[in-house]
Parts: sequence; structure tokens; C-alpha cells
Amino acid sequence: MRLVLSGIRSWRHDLTHCLHTTFGVLLGFHGLDPLHVLGSGWGFAYRMGDVRREEYYFPCLDGSLLASLAPHHQVASRWHQPSDAIQGWAQVRAAVAAGQPVAVAADNFHLPFRPAFGDVHTNHLMTVYGFDDEAALVWVADPVPPAFNGPITVGELTAARDSGNPIRHDRDMFFTANPIANRWITVEVAAAQPALDVGFVREVLLANVSGFLDRGESGQTLRGLEGLRQFLSLVPDEPERVDEIFIVAGAILAITGLHADFLADAGRRLGLVSLVELGRMVDRVAHHWTALRIGVANARSTPLADLPLLRERGRRLLADQEAVLDSMARVGGRL
Amino acid sequence: MSPVNLEGYLNNVGITPSRWPTEGGFNIWSNTFPAEELPARGSIVDVGGVAFIFPAMGPGGEDNLRCRGQRLNVPVGEYDWIYLLAAAERRTEDAIALLYTDSTVRRQWLRVSDFWPETPARFGEVEAYRCSRMLYPRHSQANMAPVIWRCRVPVSVGEPVEAIGLPDNPAIHIFAVTLVGQS
Repeated sequence: MRLVLSGIRSWRHDLTHCLHTTFGVLLGFHGLDPLHVLGSGWGFAYRMGDVRREEYYFPCLDGSLLASLAPHHQVASRWHQPSDAIQGWAQVRAAVAAGQPVAVAADNFHLPFRPAFGDVHTNHLMTVYGFDDEAALVWVADPVPPAFNGPITVGELTAARDSGNPIRHDRDMFFTANPIANRWITVEVAAAQPALDVGFVREVLLANVSGFLDRGESGQTLRGLEGLRQFLSLVPDEPERVDEIFIVAGAILAITGLHADFLADAGRRLGLVSLVELGRMVDRVAHHWTALRIGVANARSTPLADLPLLRERGRRLLADQEAVLDSMARVGGRL
Repeated sequence: MSPVNLEGYLNNVGITPSRWPTEGGFNIWSNTFPAEELPARGSIVDVGGVAFIFPAMGPGGEDNLRCRGQRLNVPVGEYDWIYLLAAAERRTEDAIALLYTDSTVRRQWLRVSDFWPETPARFGEVEAYRCSRMLYPRHSQANMAPVIWRCRVPVSVGEPVEAIGLPDNPAIHIFAVTLVGQS
């Protein structure tokens, strides 16, 4: 049997990574606008110590991975955990045969189109949307540069999915030592995408502001602006904290960049300059996250020396975050 | 037009010859630009009508300045624009401080797009150098094409500037700086 699903289009936002590109491809297949769905939510929630060594890590406190990324849409995702590689391929093949493209976790070390091929191990995510049993091929879509969309062998995919993802040498930072375990994800879309109108944007703005301002820190669970303040106060005074902050910062950078462009896009479509300006303010917060994330990564060797400057960056980020939330509440209230 | 000599400020190795293992790390993953596809070290280059000193090599092979809050002394003069050859590890922006000879300080925004392949300029920069491949510590990746941008920052007050205070933003890498005035 040979089946290659149509309707698979590449999608990427420059501040995101494989989690968002993969869901972007899958949402596009279902006829949803990835920027609309993935970019409308903006918040902060993290349970201390929750981080996992995955490129696609995202803190999920309120539902599935996709539901956490897209709180204003009726979408969800489900992880599947096969018992072995044979069952792993059978399940993914069956889903695609039923007309449903899926996401699979994979170790880049075994994927011939990734720069890490045969070099370093890492825990990546991409879309599977076709297969050819006779030729033993499988079609994958991966918009992360170098973007790839086409067939690889089932053997290559299986090796990538069944990898133990071991640490091989000193360049294997952040995303190794976490077995891939053939895991894969299905996406569920329960309702059509709401229209991008003033009412929807108002609802989104006020809900996001409320999420930041109404929820505080509670034990090991950090939420909203106060939770963010607590998280930023943890910038690494101990080396083992570096990886945790780096990975979480990458996730928050991504949703902040997406939200900035969502607001800018909504502002242009609706003719509302105030939304475009709001988007620019959110972008500035994203650019703080860039600096903080790289600063933390570079502090691996000298955490104490870099601590004062990292904390200063955190303070500036919070100040701009508070300013944008003030503006957001004001703009949302006037729409 | 006043190209600035960055020799004493270089602190990062971002350009390496295609010999393995490479001994540099523009970003945290130790990727580098291939030296064979970039101008000779220390040469004068023209990028869109602006002359720059392409960085010479520091004692440890350094070829760019990672922004860590340095004070960059410049030839004293009245300028309209600061042009830079720069690239960032993901796009970012930060304020730089223009230090005037009368001890006043005025801030301007420096915005730098990502060096990562398949990523367009975010801030309207000119593409200065697009390499055909990126170097990894143990191999060359042909379909990964990193970029160095030509950025510019306005100097809004035309009085004598003697130095630039750079931000503490390690995501920003500067390869060259040239100040341009009317005279």
C-alpha cells in the first residue's frame, strides 16, 4: 500500500522550534491558521523541576501539550507510548492510513536530512504523513532549517524513534540522555477556528492579562507575573539550574514571539494600529528572552560571574512585561 | 567615514577554516562561519557603499565581539549613522549608549537579526555575507547558509561622539563598525 496525504504545508516562525513547527504543519492540515491558533495565547506557568530534555518541551499545567499552547482554541493533543519499535511503526502507519498525519519524536542522529546526522543525539519532533510499504519509505515534514519535506526509509525513521538518545560527546547539550521511546502524538480539533474579529481579539487580550495578573506562585507551581518574577529570581546561581532555565526560556521565548506576530497580524487585518503597537511591545519582551536564554547558556562555565548581569536582564524583562500588560489591559478594554 | 578597529575588543571565534575539529563557537552549539567564504582578515571591505575593516584575528583566533557591556572607543567626530556588520543568536534588540565628549549619554536601539539559515531579516538589515554552508565541529553542512547582516543605528544628536557603550546581550555578535557623518 502507498499513501501520501495531501494538504501538508511547511510552516515556521523564526523564534520557535520543532514543537511549534510540527503543530503548525498539523494545524494547517486541519485547515487552521497556525499563527492564529499558536499565537493567541500568552502566559507563564511552570512547575519547578518539570523540565525534560526534549527540544519540544513545553510546560503543560492545564491540559495536553497542544491545549497548553493554544488555550483560546478547541484543540488538543495526545501522546501515544508504544511498547516497542514494531508497535510504534504499526500505530503511526495505521493513523496515516486512516487519513491523519501525526507527530513523532525522533533522534536527529539517525535522520539523514538533519545536520546532526551521525554526529550528535537530540530529541526532536516532526510530522509523518505518508508511507509506501513496498518501497519501505515514509514521508516526513520538518520545517526546522534545513527544512525537509519528503521520503526517508522506514528503517531510518525507526532507528530515530527507537533511539536511546545517549550522550556521545561534549556538544550533546540540553536534549540528550532521554530515550525517544517511539512516542508519537495525535491532534484533535473539536471546533472550527473562530473568526479573527474585534470580539475575539478583545477576549484573548483580557484573558491573557487576567492569566498574568490573577494567578500567583503556589509552592513549586509558578504562574502568571508573580510566578515569572519567582522564576527569573532563580537565574543560575548553581550550574545544574542552567539547563532548566535554558529550556524553559526557549519555550517562553517562542510563545512570546508568536504572540507578538499574532497581535501585529490581527492589527493589520482589523485596521487597528493599537494592536500592531502592542505586538511591537511584546516583541521587545521576546528579545529580552533571547538575551536571557543565551546569557544563561553562556553561564554554564561561569555562573556566579554572570549572575548580576543575568539578574539585571530579568529585572528589565519584568519591567517591560509589566508595561505591556498595562497597555494590553487598556487596549483590550477599549476594543 | 570612520571604520573602527575592533582588534582589542574581539572576544569570540565565529569564523574558522574548514578543518576538523573546528576550534570555535559562534553560538552555544559551536557552529562557525567558513573562513574560505568570507573576506581576508583585516581587509577593507565595501558593503553597500560602506567601508568596514573585516576583523583581523585576535591572539586566540577571535574575530568578533560578543556584546558584554564593553565601552568601544571611536574616532571623535559628529556622525549621522553607525553601521555594523553583525549577527545574533536568534533576533534581539538592545539599547546602546552614545557617549559624547561633553559627558552626555544618549541611547539608541541596536537591532540584529538571526544568523541562522532560512531566517529572513527582521529589522530591514542588508545581507552582507551569506555563506553557502555552515561549519559544525566535525563536519560542514552544505544546505545550512548562515548570514552576517549590515545593520545601522541612527545618531540623532550631531555632536562629537567619543565612544559607544554596548549592551550586555551575549546573543549579539559584532564583526565590524563604521561611523558615517556628512563631512
